[in-house]
Amino acid sequence: MKKVLLASIALASSAALALTGCAPSSTQSQAIVIGSQAYYSNEIVAEAYAQVLEDAGYTVDRQFALGQRDVYVPALLAGEIDLFPEYTGNFLQFLDPSATQTEAADVYSALQGKLPAELSALAMSPASDQDSYNVTAKYAADNNLISIADLANVKGIRLGGAPELAERPYGPKGLKSAYGVSVAFEATGETTVEALVAGLVELANVYSADPRIQELGLVTLQDPKGLFLASNLVPIASKAVDEMARKLVSDVSLAMSASELVAMNVRSVSEKLSSSEIAREWLLSEGLLTKK
Amino acid sequence: MLNFNDLWIWFSDTETWEGRYGLWNLLAEHVSLTFVALFAAGIIAIPLGLVIGHFRKGETYVVAISSVSRAVPTMGLLFAMVLFLGVESRNLAVYIALGAIAFPPLLAGTYSGLIAIPNSTVDVARAQGMNELQIIWLVEIPLAVASILGGLRLAFVQVASTVTLAPLVGLGGLGFGIVQGLALRDFAQISGTALAVVLFTVLGDRLFAVAQKQRAFQV
Repeated sequence: MKKVLLASIALASSAALALTGCAPSSTQSQAIVIGSQAYYSNEIVAEAYAQVLEDAGYTVDRQFALGQRDVYVPALLAGEIDLFPEYTGNFLQFLDPSATQTEAADVYSALQGKLPAELSALAMSPASDQDSYNVTAKYAADNNLISIADLANVKGIRLGGAPELAERPYGPKGLKSAYGVSVAFEATGETTVEALVAGLVELANVYSADPRIQELGLVTLQDPKGLFLASNLVPIASKAVDEMARKLVSDVSLAMSASELVAMNVRSVSEKLSSSEIAREWLLSEGLLTKK
Repeated sequence: MLNFNDLWIWFSDTETWEGRYGLWNLLAEHVSLTFVALFAAGIIAIPLGLVIGHFRKGETYVVAISSVSRAVPTMGLLFAMVLFLGVESRNLAVYIALGAIAFPPLLAGTYSGLIAIPNSTVDVARAQGMNELQIIWLVEIPLAVASILGGLRLAFVQVASTVTLAPLVGLGGLGFGIVQGLALRDFAQISGTALAVVLFTVLGDRLFAVAQKQRAFQV
């Protein structure tokens, strides 16, 4: 079903291009299919890849908001999608649930080892979007908190997060074994940040690129023991992506810093700009587009 | 993806049943969320249905309320209520969202139970010297009770299966096992918990059906 759908969309778009005669003069005969998760931040990154490739004369087919890994990874493996912005740690855990690496470089090389032959990981970005433990500024000040280790002497900590956090290696069990921190787990679901601000929990698992960390002045606790899996942005490409395109996308990946990713997420959430506008402005500011 | 052996192992693991997020506690939360929501909707919808049915006034509202609340997406209402009331009042938000789906069948069940009573029956009661309250209490409610129970049964089934949304806003109930299982790709947990929701809903439905049938016989 998905295959038929993708094929028909690809067919329709190439037919439209042929009819209007505005196909770019590229050596690439087939469009590069770019996918993204159903997550606004991921879509901005995918949009940046797409615009850089279009700028260089490639034909691009955007297949955005494809849900979560269970949905799109099979399509990626089947060659229906050629390029996808992924996150090193989370993708590695998906491919190999028993992987134990947590440091960024280790995770990246482990991921390269676990990828099937049809796929390759392009340059890893310094920008990451990963789990992190956060407290309110007041709680941090009251208890002198800088790192997760400082929680060891604090009593009565309630940890909020998605239901699955209860079973994750960095969840309550990991806090206990790595830092000796005891917490009571509260599944706060989609309202984790709200629950933290309202004082229903003291500690909350929030994605590090979440704009609300800045907006609400939350304090992200340092993780000196590498409890959390590093999850840097990384473009995953199929064989259909040629050397030239790989170079272009890798440059985008390397140019994106952690704070720029957060800034783009903030623009999406608070200014309600479209992902293509945000990506375009960032690419222009980085000088990654040749045409204006 | 799932085999019955995994499901069996999951059910026979004591960890599945015990603790804050064990099956027993989640089931207890599920039952309590369901019945509190039903009760809250009932204390408004049933008297309203009695008044509308007795005085035969405002029938159009019954139709309007039923169709409007059926068009409201429960999940959207739930999130809107949490944002509106604040995360501290998430229990109330869940009761409102669930109450909204329980309301129409309760109102319609009560109302249609009353209008099914022939006018002559009510007139006889009035000729005997009963006042309006006595007519409602001694004549109309006993005759409409099977229909009210029918509405309650319908509301129960809808609420009991929709309580599974509660973990999305940080409350418990059996939905927790489904949300957590999906994220962990634990198919035994997802299907085991879903099975528990189905069993609870079907069992409740059967009990209401028996009660409804018994009352219908007495008439």
